Amino acid sequence: MDGREGLRIAVRSVRAHKLRSALTVVGIVIGIASVITFATFGASVQAEIIGDIGDSNAGNIYVFGTPSDDEGFDRVLQPVFTDADLAAIGEIDGVTAVLPRGSIQVTSIRAANQTLARSQVTATTPESITAGSIVAGRSFTSGEPEVVVNERLATGFSENLTAGSTLTLTYPDGQERPVTVTGVVNGTRGELPVSNFARQPRLYAPIDPFYEAVVESPSAGVRQRAYPQVTVVSDPRRTAETRESIEDYLAGDADARQLSASDTELVARSGSDFVDEISDVIERITRFVTGIGVISLVVGAIGIANVMLVSVTERTREIGIMKAVGARNRDVMSIFVIEAALLGTLGSLLGVPLGLLVGRGAAAYADVTFALAPDWIALAVVVGVVVGIVAGLYPAWRAARIDPIDALRHE
Amino acid sequence: MSETAATATAAPTAADESEPTVVVDTVSKHYTVGEQVTALDKVSLTLPTGSYTAIMGPSGSGKSSLLNLIGGLDTPSSGHVAVDGKPVSTASEDERAAIRGTDIGFVFQTFNLMPRLTAVENVALPLVFDGWSRAERLNRATDRLEAVGLGDRTDHVPSELSGGQRQRVAIARALAPDPALILADEPTGNVDTDTGATVLDIFDELHAAGNTILLVTHERHVAERADQIVHITDGEIGSIEATGEA
Repeated sequence: MDGREGLRIAVRSVRAHKLRSALTVVGIVIGIASVITFATFGASVQAEIIGDIGDSNAGNIYVFGTPSDDEGFDRVLQPVFTDADLAAIGEIDGVTAVLPRGSIQVTSIRAANQTLARSQVTATTPESITAGSIVAGRSFTSGEPEVVVNERLATGFSENLTAGSTLTLTYPDGQERPVTVTGVVNGTRGELPVSNFARQPRLYAPIDPFYEAVVESPSAGVRQRAYPQVTVVSDPRRTAETRESIEDYLAGDADARQLSASDTELVARSGSDFVDEISDVIERITRFVTGIGVISLVVGAIGIANVMLVSVTERTREIGIMKAVGARNRDVMSIFVIEAALLGTLGSLLGVPLGLLVGRGAAAYADVTFALAPDWIALAVVVGVVVGIVAGLYPAWRAARIDPIDALRHE
Repeated sequence: MSETAATATAAPTAADESEPTVVVDTVSKHYTVGEQVTALDKVSLTLPTGSYTAIMGPSGSGKSSLLNLIGGLDTPSSGHVAVDGKPVSTASEDERAAIRGTDIGFVFQTFNLMPRLTAVENVALPLVFDGWSRAERLNRATDRLEAVGLGDRTDHVPSELSGGQRQRVAIARALAPDPALILADEPTGNVDTDTGATVLDIFDELHAAGNTILLVTHERHVAERADQIVHITDGEIGSIEATGEA
């Protein structure tokens, strides 16, 4: 039989029962949509992180402490990396820069008469502010009451901040400190890839004079500044071996080792380590959601099979007519399989855009750039069609076996 | 045993000028409905090519069973059926489907049209299963609809047509593949008298054009339009009555 004629008959039948067909495909729609949602969301997050790490950050090695009994990249924000540690790491072969990072506690940031609470203030060195990241103005100068702000903070006030604006920082003890904005940046070198995840308003200040966390360095025997996280910039061609050297140092007699709690592990991670970890987490979530999607698809398949069985009974007489005028069993079977496949296709055609829409909403909510996962979309459509066919096989087989004489007598 | 059967069927072919369109050779049909029921008991019947035959008999006499066997919808418990030289009774299920589609045209009492297909698509349906292209089949179907006077109703679905029009669509469908045999089961049973007369006129025309027709009815005046009337009672052929020239 002509496959197109089978399709035409199937389309007529689906159209004749629009509501029933729509309800039938709901299970498939939900299954496909949930898989697409999380596949695109996962792809978006992954693309964002890989984009963050990018080429310019390829040689970055992130050094921080993490609880040894926990997986992942939870940071223990204890200031343990002393100036002596930084100097020692700076001596390691392949290291081109050492960028310490600490956070400064402030309760609010005020511009003119407007106050912004809950802003991150990061203390770092001028080297962290690269020319490429400066949108306007210049970097701050060490030793001066100068700061740079990210774009989110610059636009966070009713009047946009520009180079030359003045801000007032309020500390938890009530003390106030006026600062001058010297530039607007779209990120800094040495930022942990995950910290970009939520683009919060951020303010960057020079360690001198803003950062005040000090500890007594066991190696130097004097009180020094200490930082919870250090980003080491290395020669990208030698990142792996440089990372090993840093880990060797950290495992030895580093101040950080002696200052850390015993259950804290000091780690040096390269950008690709982060990508691997994030990919791992995303993959696990995607697998879980795919499981839910598969359950929806199974329910959807049962729905299609059920409706097809009803349809076969209702159309018994039509089956008899077709057989009387020359339809072979496989012709009848293919007509019903095509109809079931059409329902499955319909389900995935509705499910894919719905999933993309929700995935885009989720990406917007998480503040990551929306990225498509084309292979998942193709897979989803194929799965929808296959689910339809599989669900239709048994009803179609029943239809094919109907005796034409009985069928023609059927009311 | 099979050789004697073969010579028996071969002999009349050699003797006659042309092979009869339908040969029913000592056919029996038993059903088991609780107990064994004999619907047909050693029935033999030959329909020459171009003949117009009516089968009459009370309900339960076995006339529908005979029609189903000749039409290839069913297989006999014993005996042989051949249509246009093709052994219907020993054919496989798929082969019988192909015979139904190309060699036999069915006209039913209840029309049996596909409700969601247009008149022209209904007429073209047998050709779908015979592998015709869409353009060819719609062409042929349009011709056949014009032949039964429905050239202006090709795109109507059955629910938009009157009973008489539906039966004419069904006749056009039966004619679509140029069948060797037209089987009609009470074709006037579901239409009014005037329409019934029109339907019978069409059968007369088809007969005049050389088609072989087998019609089942319980109405005397319908049966009298045929060349011969076969009376069936209790699964056996009682008598074959030749009618005067209609």
